[in-house]
Amino acid sequence: MTAATFPKSVTRFMHKYAIAYLFIAVPILSIILFLVIPMVVSFWWSLNDYSGLQAPKFVALNNYVELLTHDKIFIKSLFNTTLFVLLGMTLGPTLGLLTALMLNQKVRFQSFFRTAYYLPVMTSLVVVSTIWIMLYNQNGLFNTILLNLGLSRVGWLSDPKLALLSVVFASVWQGFGFETVIFLAALQSIPRELYEAAMIDGAGALQQFWYVTVPKLRPVIVFVYIIGIIGSYQVFDQVFVMTLGGPVYSTETIVYYLYAKFRDLRLGYASAIAYILFFILVIFSYLQWRVSRGRED
Amino acid sequence: MYAKKVVFSLSIILALVLSACAAPAQQPATQAPAQARPAATQAPAAPGVTTLTVWDYYGEATPIKPLIEPFEKANPDIKIDYQALDWDTTLEKLNVVLTSGGGPDVVTVDMTWIPKFASLGAFTDLKPISGGKLNGVAWDQAYTPGALEAITFNDQIIAALYDFDVYSLYYRSDLFEQKGLQVPKTWDELEAVAQKLAEGDKNLYEFDADTFHGSQWIYENGGSLMSPDNKTITFNSPEAVAGIQKYADLLMKDKVAVNWTKDQGERIQGVKDGRIAMFSDGPYYMGILKSAAPEMAGKWKVATHPFGKQPGSYLGGTGLAIPANSAKKDAAWKFVQFAMQTENEINVYKLAGAAPALTAALESPEVNIEDPYFGGEKAFGVFLESMKTAKHFPYVRQWADIDAAFTNAMQQIALGQKSVQDALNEAAATSTDALSK
Repeated sequence: MTAATFPKSVTRFMHKYAIAYLFIAVPILSIILFLVIPMVVSFWWSLNDYSGLQAPKFVALNNYVELLTHDKIFIKSLFNTTLFVLLGMTLGPTLGLLTALMLNQKVRFQSFFRTAYYLPVMTSLVVVSTIWIMLYNQNGLFNTILLNLGLSRVGWLSDPKLALLSVVFASVWQGFGFETVIFLAALQSIPRELYEAAMIDGAGALQQFWYVTVPKLRPVIVFVYIIGIIGSYQVFDQVFVMTLGGPVYSTETIVYYLYAKFRDLRLGYASAIAYILFFILVIFSYLQWRVSRGRED
Repeated sequence: MYAKKVVFSLSIILALVLSACAAPAQQPATQAPAQARPAATQAPAAPGVTTLTVWDYYGEATPIKPLIEPFEKANPDIKIDYQALDWDTTLEKLNVVLTSGGGPDVVTVDMTWIPKFASLGAFTDLKPISGGKLNGVAWDQAYTPGALEAITFNDQIIAALYDFDVYSLYYRSDLFEQKGLQVPKTWDELEAVAQKLAEGDKNLYEFDADTFHGSQWIYENGGSLMSPDNKTITFNSPEAVAGIQKYADLLMKDKVAVNWTKDQGERIQGVKDGRIAMFSDGPYYMGILKSAAPEMAGKWKVATHPFGKQPGSYLGGTGLAIPANSAKKDAAWKFVQFAMQTENEINVYKLAGAAPALTAALESPEVNIEDPYFGGEKAFGVFLESMKTAKHFPYVRQWADIDAAFTNAMQQIALGQKSVQDALNEAAATSTDALSK
């Protein structure tokens, strides 16, 4: 492959961009190798009854039909995961915004608080979940407080009405520091003058927040929600460590169910679950992209 | 200049990509020559050495690792590539390697994994490779009938049972003495004893909403999980329902049991702080009690679990299996036989505190010692007795679904969401549906 055989313009082009394309080639190749090919293979599996040990049996869309119309546990896991996302994405960003607003005031030890809020984010979810199991214990901190208040114990992880909520609390505690840091950075980038102008126009604190802060934060809010929803729909670690999907499937989530099917070597079925999750996330990403684009126009 | 740089960068990328692709392909290549060599015959004069990959999930107290040195000494033509994994990792990695090729030549398998792997033909049939004998003893002589049944699937022997697990009753003998109670033999006696022991949330019988414990109460009432041909669900039959009802009554009606859920913590905490006075579990828990609650020495004893009509328990444990895609089956079988020699099997007890599965090892005086922790009684003998009537879980491909449905029913019962009959009927319907696919 000598350059001499190419026309001059091509040679010049190659000289100019060859290195650039080479550098791009590395991530592209790794994406193809570790993402695109597995995705295509996984999609093929999702159309098959496949254990990995025996030859795949083509079943067309049967896995999808079974999952969405017959599989009560999967439908329950869809419901649970959506509830988890709704609760988590209500509590998390709200807490994140509140703490960011407080830290944005000229509080003392600001960097200490910022680090403190961010520390759980850097801690492994498995560690966080293990700590929360202890807090939720029959004789743990929360139940001790309840008993001291003259109330009775609560089965945080054993009552099916509470278990999912308990997992949400632990997850929000672990994650909202991320939102705090993002919101804080965005708040600090809002020009002072805007607030000063608003003040001159006679806007109170609430009006300033509503007419200056919120519009300026909008792109960041959209970002936080995109990242948050995609992440929350894939909730797994907390469930794996804290509840194993129980009691009575009250904390069964999509990825935990996928994992159970993978462990049972139902690779076709598990792949179909993965693709349903993928489609859900594509829809959400598209909606949010539309929302953010609509605002910019 | 540029062209040189380009070629250099390209070749590096190519090398990276190729090496990534080539890695899995290398394994079969190195294994191929080993297959050609019959390892079972005498060591050739100047041969290459067969390397066996052994996966072991026992952990620190493993009885398998100490076998390597003497085995290699006795078999100079075989080298052991020993890999210590934990239980979970072994299962995950087995899933991956069995489906993608490669992997170990000998692996420790939990018998609860057998339904899936055996029904998919993942393990080598040991019958032909062994010539019908394990270290010169016929298989049906080497094991009790229940143990042999547990390693048999579709008339094949898919693993050599290395240690076994059956459930017996652990109880606080010191409290029994204080209150002048006799060890219960029947369910009614158990109920009466539990009522006398319980003091509020202390000294309770442990209720576990899982298949291990649920199946025990079903077996003990003459019931079963599935019909002998593995075609029909039977855990909602009248005997089974009555068994589970009796179990649930301890919790729901008599309130002398504690539902041991996730937020109760580890059982050992309940053992130490006095919430649990009785529970049902396997011989491995003797080792946990001794190491985690040494201060309670002399306060616990073991007895056959009380029953309705007959004693019963699930039968599980650890098997040594040779994956079907191993290319060194003969050498692997040599290692399995070595591990199953009586004196090595005794090490399962001595080193890991687990129960050796081989009848000869079970009956050896080194295993049947008087244990000071358990009041100087031969605690092991209790489990040996339980083993004679224990049954393994049904070996069907859909076992994971059935297990999940049954566990869910047990949880619904323990929470008072459904009656025993309704919960088990629903689980049976779900399981039957799974079986039809």
